[in-house]
Amino acid sequence: MDSFANYINTLRDVSGLPFYPWLFDILLVFTFTCHILLVNLVLGGSIVLLWGKLSGNPYGGRLSRSLSRVLPISLSWAIVLGVAPLLFIQVIYDPFWYFSSVISAWWTLAFLALIALAFSLFYVYYLRGGYEGQGNPLWVFLALAALSTVAVIIHALSLQAVHPERWSEWVVKGGRVNFSGSGLYAFELPRILHFILASVAIIGIFLMLYARYFRARPDYPSEYLAWVERTGARTAFVFSLLQAGAGIWWFLTLPRTFHFYIHPLFLIGAGFGITLIVVLALAQARPSAYTWPVTILAFLTVFFMSYAREALRMKYLHRAGYSFADYPVHPSWSSTALFLLTFVMGLVILFYVGLVAFRAGRGHKEVGSHGLGKLAVTLSCLWIGIMVVIGLVISFKNGALP
Amino acid sequence: MYPIWEVPYFSSALIIGLIASFHILPSHLAVGAFWFNVYIERKAYREKQLELLDFIKRYTLLILIFCFVFGSLSGVGIWYSATVASPRGISALIHNYVWGWATEWVFFLIEVATIYVYYYTFGKVDEKTHLRIGYLYALAAWISMIIITGILAFMLTPGKWLETGRFFDGFFNSTYWPQLFARTFLMFGIAAVYALVVATTLQNKAVQYKITRLAGLWGILGFLIGGLMTYWYLKKLPEPAQDFLFGGTLPYLKTLLYVSGISWVLALLYFLLCGALFPRANTLAGSLLLMLILFFGIFAGEGLREGLRRPYIVNFFMYSHQVVAADLPAKGIQAETELLSEAGYLSRLGYLPPELRKITPENQVEIGRILVIHQCANCHALSAKGLRSLPKLLSGMGMTDPEDLAGFLEGLDGYPYMPPFVGTEEERLAAGAYLSTLVENK
Repeated sequence: MDSFANYINTLRDVSGLPFYPWLFDILLVFTFTCHILLVNLVLGGSIVLLWGKLSGNPYGGRLSRSLSRVLPISLSWAIVLGVAPLLFIQVIYDPFWYFSSVISAWWTLAFLALIALAFSLFYVYYLRGGYEGQGNPLWVFLALAALSTVAVIIHALSLQAVHPERWSEWVVKGGRVNFSGSGLYAFELPRILHFILASVAIIGIFLMLYARYFRARPDYPSEYLAWVERTGARTAFVFSLLQAGAGIWWFLTLPRTFHFYIHPLFLIGAGFGITLIVVLALAQARPSAYTWPVTILAFLTVFFMSYAREALRMKYLHRAGYSFADYPVHPSWSSTALFLLTFVMGLVILFYVGLVAFRAGRGHKEVGSHGLGKLAVTLSCLWIGIMVVIGLVISFKNGALP
Repeated sequence: MYPIWEVPYFSSALIIGLIASFHILPSHLAVGAFWFNVYIERKAYREKQLELLDFIKRYTLLILIFCFVFGSLSGVGIWYSATVASPRGISALIHNYVWGWATEWVFFLIEVATIYVYYYTFGKVDEKTHLRIGYLYALAAWISMIIITGILAFMLTPGKWLETGRFFDGFFNSTYWPQLFARTFLMFGIAAVYALVVATTLQNKAVQYKITRLAGLWGILGFLIGGLMTYWYLKKLPEPAQDFLFGGTLPYLKTLLYVSGISWVLALLYFLLCGALFPRANTLAGSLLLMLILFFGIFAGEGLREGLRRPYIVNFFMYSHQVVAADLPAKGIQAETELLSEAGYLSRLGYLPPELRKITPENQVEIGRILVIHQCANCHALSAKGLRSLPKLLSGMGMTDPEDLAGFLEGLDGYPYMPPFVGTEEERLAAGAYLSTLVENK
């Protein structure tokens, strides 16, 4: 093993992993998929909001009002869904994530400050008339600028992480080590374009869902919803094509030795992507008939493309002699069970809360499902009860109490 | 070892401290406030005082914006700042407690879902459902505290984990319960302060005074019981921490304790006088000032909690300069102190080019700088001005000679709150050579 690969292995955490790495990897990809969809919604939503607001079209104006409420909520979800992949990446790819963050420390922190700024600006727009159709679009424009910078930062951090062979030259200049954490070192235009263009495609599909959802509400005129649906389908189609173009460009810049074109995950992702484009083309004539197929295909495409992205990361890191499969494992069955059981329980609670939101949004005051609601509260209380019992038993056994 | 992020004047540790202390305000509000919220909402429905709902709407909007913009981001901020300031430290926590954090994350999802549904369905769904969503939020938020407290307390008192390496042995440790109860009750006080602020903006005076009085009572109760629990916590501190705090080893810790104690007393007085007894005396300026005082108290309290752990990140296991201090056979971990004193600290700096990994007379000072930054800059400023300035501390001791400085480094662990300097003699000399340039240029 060469000395650099050896160095990377000394960076791995001494505690090893508390469970087998494949589970962290699956969770990483799944939660990243959810996260990136929400990020797409925020970025694409800001662009469509500005377009709707500035186009002068009354329907566009009305759409921008709805989006003013969607944006802060989606950003909240994007953040909370981002926490999980961030956590799991640090478990199985810790050497790369930490190294990349440390050498760009100020940028890492600016990343969060800019999100906070964009978030505040979304609220300023929403609370100062945005939802009523007034509101100064400048706020959204500035938020979009902040979020685009955020995209560049996270793009650079992720890229720096997969190029360990260049770390030394980035950090050491002229025999002196730079510890300032002020540099940002990597950028690939096709890669970031592939992601930004996807945002607009995804918001197009979101608009199709929006139209379908609000059809049940008498205060949403059907001509308006039909317009939203058409616009959504068209936007999704055009930007999916552009997105595919950027993807091909990026694909061509990848190192040939990777042979990525025969990677099964990539092929599955590309297959779903092409099918999505074909279905979107068919959907142009009668979008309402295609809402669900398009949504499901889009989710599958993003999921498998996220998996392909993961496979690509493995290719890069394999070059540096790293594979998470070699990470020492000390399975912690108890804490793994704690998470998995809590996760299932969380899905039940979230299902109930989602049901309330769905029905309330459709205008039902009596939302019902009280049995499920009671179950959700009982499960939460039960969770506390079980933890307290486990905690007391362990505390007394170990002498932590009294 | 990863490279280091050197923050001029402040040190990277202080950046974590600032973000972490700020985070307490929105996070404890996020956890505490909803108990107050559902209490008032229930009261409003039961006693048919629907005007109270006006307060709840405003209060929820404050939580929504303050906690879910600044609270969530500063929470990630602690994590990010720890990532760049102390990557091996955060890595050790994550590799032992990832499932704890992942479990907490499930409740974050529930929090985000319920807060938005709660806020946007005011008056749009039946009362029972709305109140239930409020309870679900309150429970999820408190559970997130139940989890994170285990990881925080672990850092100070890892207890049995030091032998077994097992998740729950470290989680339910000797300071867990007192800290959980202290935070739980103090958070009611923090929620009360925000309620006092929001109450001053209400138009209806009768409602305003009613809320102010109730908030005052919640604050008194929360702070009194929280204070008692804090006392229990201090009693449960491990031996070295007791010495640092009460034995006079680190006098600044006592000052921090006084600062947080004083802010606790002032808050109690405000709750009593401007809340429970004379609600008319509560003003926007007064309640905001109280919040500021509380922030200083929290900052001091968190600084104290962090300081008690010196010289470790994870007590008795990993030093503040990220070197593993102890064996943990259960996980096959070997202490690095002796290992690196033989093999050399440079042996772990694989990111350096070969010419910087072997000490020569030409590169001695630069390598010394690298070693000093790696082992000292996390807590010490390298400039004459700044936090725990090294040039100032060293020249105060009258040390300028490289060999004296190297000798000083060798005996560094004689100070109970300092980690040892880790490296070979040659490396100590290089560090001494660099330190002497710092003292000379002061």
